[in-house]
Amino acid sequence: MTEEYQMVIVGVGGQGILTISDIIAIAARKKGLHILGSEVHGMAQKGGSVITNLKIGKKLHSPTIPEGSAKVLVGIEENETLRFIKYLEPRGIAITSTTVLNPVSWKKNKKAAIEAQEKIDKNLAKFKAKIIKIDSEALAHEAGLSLAQNIVLLGALSQVEGFPLSDEELKEALKERVPKKYIEPNLKAFELGKNAIVNSN
Amino acid sequence: MGNIADLIENKEKRVLCLGNEAIARGAIEAGVQVFAAYPGTPSSEISGALIAAAAELDFYAEWSTNEKVAMEIAYAASITGIRSMTALKHVGLNVAADAFYSFMYMGCKGGFVTVVGDDPHCFSSQNEQDSRWLGVSANFIILEPSSPQEAKDFVKHAFDISEKFEAPILLRSTTRISHARADVQYYEYESGFKEGDLEKTTRFKCLPAIARANHPKLLEKMERVKEWIHESGFSVVEDDNEAEYGIITSGISYSYVKDALKSLKKTIPILKLGMVSPLDEKSILEFAQNKKNIIFIEEVDPYLEDRISALFIQNSLYPRIHGKCNGITKRYHELNSRIVAEGLIKAFGGELLSLSEIQKAVEETKDFTPFRPPLFCAGCQHRAAFYELSKVVRKRDGIFSSDIGCYSLDPWVTDTIVCMGASIGMANGFARVIKDKPIFALIGDSTFFHTGLPALANAVYHKANFNLLILDNRMTAMTGFQPNPTEDIPIEDVVKGLGVNYIVEFDPYDFENGKKTIEDALEHEGPTVIIMRKICANEWWRRTRRKGEKIEVFHTDSEVCIACGTCIVQYQCPAISWSLDTNSKDKNYTVIDPAMCTGCSVCSQICPTGAISKVE
Repeated sequence: MTEEYQMVIVGVGGQGILTISDIIAIAARKKGLHILGSEVHGMAQKGGSVITNLKIGKKLHSPTIPEGSAKVLVGIEENETLRFIKYLEPRGIAITSTTVLNPVSWKKNKKAAIEAQEKIDKNLAKFKAKIIKIDSEALAHEAGLSLAQNIVLLGALSQVEGFPLSDEELKEALKERVPKKYIEPNLKAFELGKNAIVNSN
Repeated sequence: MGNIADLIENKEKRVLCLGNEAIARGAIEAGVQVFAAYPGTPSSEISGALIAAAAELDFYAEWSTNEKVAMEIAYAASITGIRSMTALKHVGLNVAADAFYSFMYMGCKGGFVTVVGDDPHCFSSQNEQDSRWLGVSANFIILEPSSPQEAKDFVKHAFDISEKFEAPILLRSTTRISHARADVQYYEYESGFKEGDLEKTTRFKCLPAIARANHPKLLEKMERVKEWIHESGFSVVEDDNEAEYGIITSGISYSYVKDALKSLKKTIPILKLGMVSPLDEKSILEFAQNKKNIIFIEEVDPYLEDRISALFIQNSLYPRIHGKCNGITKRYHELNSRIVAEGLIKAFGGELLSLSEIQKAVEETKDFTPFRPPLFCAGCQHRAAFYELSKVVRKRDGIFSSDIGCYSLDPWVTDTIVCMGASIGMANGFARVIKDKPIFALIGDSTFFHTGLPALANAVYHKANFNLLILDNRMTAMTGFQPNPTEDIPIEDVVKGLGVNYIVEFDPYDFENGKKTIEDALEHEGPTVIIMRKICANEWWRRTRRKGEKIEVFHTDSEVCIACGTCIVQYQCPAISWSLDTNSKDKNYTVIDPAMCTGCSVCSQICPTGAISKVE
């Protein structure tokens, strides 16, 4: 791998962003790689926009990732992907859920919400990144755990070219991180996300 | 990851942890015996970790009622010869300031360490205060780590230095250290509780004659520290091979400098200061003496820049100064490696990858990414309480003085939010000048015990006419559901004891009754107290799920819903959204996410058509 692999994970507070960043960190550590990340706690967590930075590599210094420098973005909510896609390096990769959680201002205005949704592909395309869309809501449901949309996207991430951790390494870490009784549906969610990429290639 | 087993295992190993957990481990490795703290982002996880560890290991730790009390507990332990620590956020340091300004004159015995979490960018705070100023003005020895690993190692050093010089230590972290996640090297430690004893001496009495004698002694001690740091290893010089430029930095800013230089493909001499007060004058002057330009990189205030610029003048050294003074970096918000690189380009040139394409796309799409502010959680009892309140407050054009906690998120009625306890203090003031409108103060249980009590005593004593609303959600929710005295001390007994005559209580989920209770209270001369009591919905939801119990959720009948928006637009429950079923653009209705609904029932009570009901 390159000296330093930078990624961002984005979504809305409560979607399990910290959980997948933990799993990636555990897997990286097991592989003898260093990890440096930065997370948001406290007030911003409560249903607000959340971005977590993660660096994997050998010699790491600053914990945050400036705009235009992440290799990959994982977005658990589509509008948040649009908000934070500027953190991707030119022609980076965005794996995004198609899930939409409307911000309050759009709850007041259904027209704006529909318009934003209709234009989302066009808007994302303006950033000239490679966009991979996953219906994580349907796949999490299929796995039998509606809260596992984050894990679906983690499965998809495992198939991204150049990502320094394999699907097996991530699954081992997942088993350590999630509560025992939820391991099975989470592994299923992971596989469904992974296959969504494999099948689309 | 928040894993108590990792935190306490007495073994040398590498562990993936939060910066704050690393700091807690540092305290355990240093043999901390007494720890006390009040929670506050970004410092809370240090205390959470140590309080959990204390239950397993042989030392004492507690959540105290406020930062001043916590620091006094730790200081008392220290002067009996015991290693002690407190952790607080930057504004918490202000609360404790009355105590520590005098601690300095007396000095300590057992290592005494205060960890402060500054919050550049106000991620979870009311200001961007730079604690180094408060620290230096009080004569703290201040350490500033640049990574989670250093944070842990510095805690151990801090205890040693504190004992060597009998001096209190301030360890300054920032959000990006405290909430960084990294793999950190842990070491073995010795454990076992020791008892302390207090020496009979005049030293610990801050009386005028004694303080007058202690002040010069304190300053002389700081001079000794200054001599010692030169050899301490806290000042690190890197790549000192050119005479044109040199960078002086500390803390997290050092990490930004390293990455910025990498992206600029430049090697420039760096002086990294691990101790930022007293300053390592020898190392600084040695580093600067042959350089034409000195660049200061630090977050928020020009602390190093101002102090070291003065040092240069005092020593007839005149390098060109770059920093906040000429706009290399700003005096507000946090830095990152790109901002620092752009600043360094202003000083010595260089090139970065252009972001113009990305910035253009951001400009073109920004209207489609509306602000998503943090909100009350689904089912939050505060939302219910505020919705009831808003009906009364708005009708009467009331003045609303709020406080620090989850309830600061109120979107409806709040006029002022300042600092812990200010809701009641300021209501005392409003009551003196506003006579024709009802005045409300609102405070949570934890904040009430923190600094609300003296202000309420003042109101009773001076008969200030306002209505105090106490939101008792049974814990300190905002900072991570910490316990506080409301568990054991009934708030109604406290306010009764303080002499409040009119005290009522209601369940905020009971909407009509809540509204009426508030209306009734307004008929009475203040201060009145209205207690709105309900356990934090978020914590209740978690506990219920953990027990494996079913949560009875609600749903909307799409045929009955008239899309009036009461539940979505007005009540703003995040579990409710518009149906985005584009096939039925004509028929609009709301849907409730069963994964988020906590079954609080308030939406069903306020729905004008009765479209919302329990899922059978």
